[in-house]
Amino acid sequence: MAAITESIKQEVKEIVYNFFAEECEVDVSRIQDDTSIINDLDGDSLMFLELIEIFKKKYNLDIELKVIGKYAVKHPVNTIGELIRMQLLIIEHENRLLELDQ
Amino acid sequence: MLPALSDLRLSFIFPAFSSDYENHPGSGIGAFDTLFGELLLRASETADGRLASFRFRDNNFLNDELLTQYVTFLYSCTLSALIRKAGRKPVVTAGYSMGIYSALYDAGSISFETGLRMIGAAYESITKHMTTHNYAMGALIGLNREDISGIIREHDLHAEITNQNAAHAFVVTGSRDSVTRLLELAMEEGALHSRDLGVTVPYHSEYLRKASEIFSTFVDTLEVGSPTLPVLSLVDHSLLTTPEQVRREVVRNLYRPLNWAVAMKSLLGLGITGFVECGPATGLSRNARFVEGVTFYPPASLLS
Repeated sequence: MAAITESIKQEVKEIVYNFFAEECEVDVSRIQDDTSIINDLDGDSLMFLELIEIFKKKYNLDIELKVIGKYAVKHPVNTIGELIRMQLLIIEHENRLLELDQ
Repeated sequence: MLPALSDLRLSFIFPAFSSDYENHPGSGIGAFDTLFGELLLRASETADGRLASFRFRDNNFLNDELLTQYVTFLYSCTLSALIRKAGRKPVVTAGYSMGIYSALYDAGSISFETGLRMIGAAYESITKHMTTHNYAMGALIGLNREDISGIIREHDLHAEITNQNAAHAFVVTGSRDSVTRLLELAMEEGALHSRDLGVTVPYHSEYLRKASEIFSTFVDTLEVGSPTLPVLSLVDHSLLTTPEQVRREVVRNLYRPLNWAVAMKSLLGLGITGFVECGPATGLSRNARFVEGVTFYPPASLLS
């Protein structure tokens, strides 16, 4: 479990913005927190999976994809901002993510 | 740092069929339009007259499985021929699913017309054999092979894994009821995403074994030569170098599962440093993003 600092928040935001700008071939200035990943960027679930792998490596996270999947069913992600919030929760809680719902 | 284009050991990769033509790589290239038009005319005369009315924007047959396979074949043949004409030649090729036919054409194992005949005959064998359309294919993201196999076993589902695109990305095939149930159960198990692929033919599954026997009889009547360069099998990842291997491959390609993730690793193991998706879209390059060391080059970058 990692404490989420302002520095981590900023870093996660930058990684997510730059990732989608590159993957979806759009200028990063076109991406905002309320940008829809599917409708505005034509993103897909493989991108979500790739991003999770990036954060797993970067923060050395102990988290099973299944845990994220179960959490995502109850807390669907549609926008860039929602995705950033979920990534921060994953970094903070790792495999204990589902305990947030208990 | 990426190697210079001239230093690349290239592999051409051929898709099965396209789901859209938006921003297709041949768009705006005069030589592409000319050659594609020529092949379209030949195909409309020898395979299916409806092809003559194909248009990328307003009459692209995307809702017709057979015609889409024909068009993707034409597209792939056009693109690979132009890249070769520009002096870029692959050292090995691979075809994803029904992309095997364009891979074999590119490798000089079959003629353009034989490729068309194989596509038509495979489709006819399948539709003749299949008396119902109660089959489906689905995509599952986020679970591993053991998770999916476990669900299938535990719930006695009539479904099987028929392709692996990455460690946590699979295609499943089976009876429509079983695939629908499998996709639901997978989400409960923690899959990140599941999707019915909207296909009614159970490609690469045991359900097509009988159809493949009909197809095999037809393939035996066709002229097949040795590939001029190796073609990678997506079934067992061997290299096809003889006509016998090619005939066997196109038949078992119908009913045996594939493994795209292992195929990409096999190609890297052969020293490939650059991949080119010879097709209208970028689905295969996107699927390969999880395989470390794989670099795809846009076809247009190799045409100059």
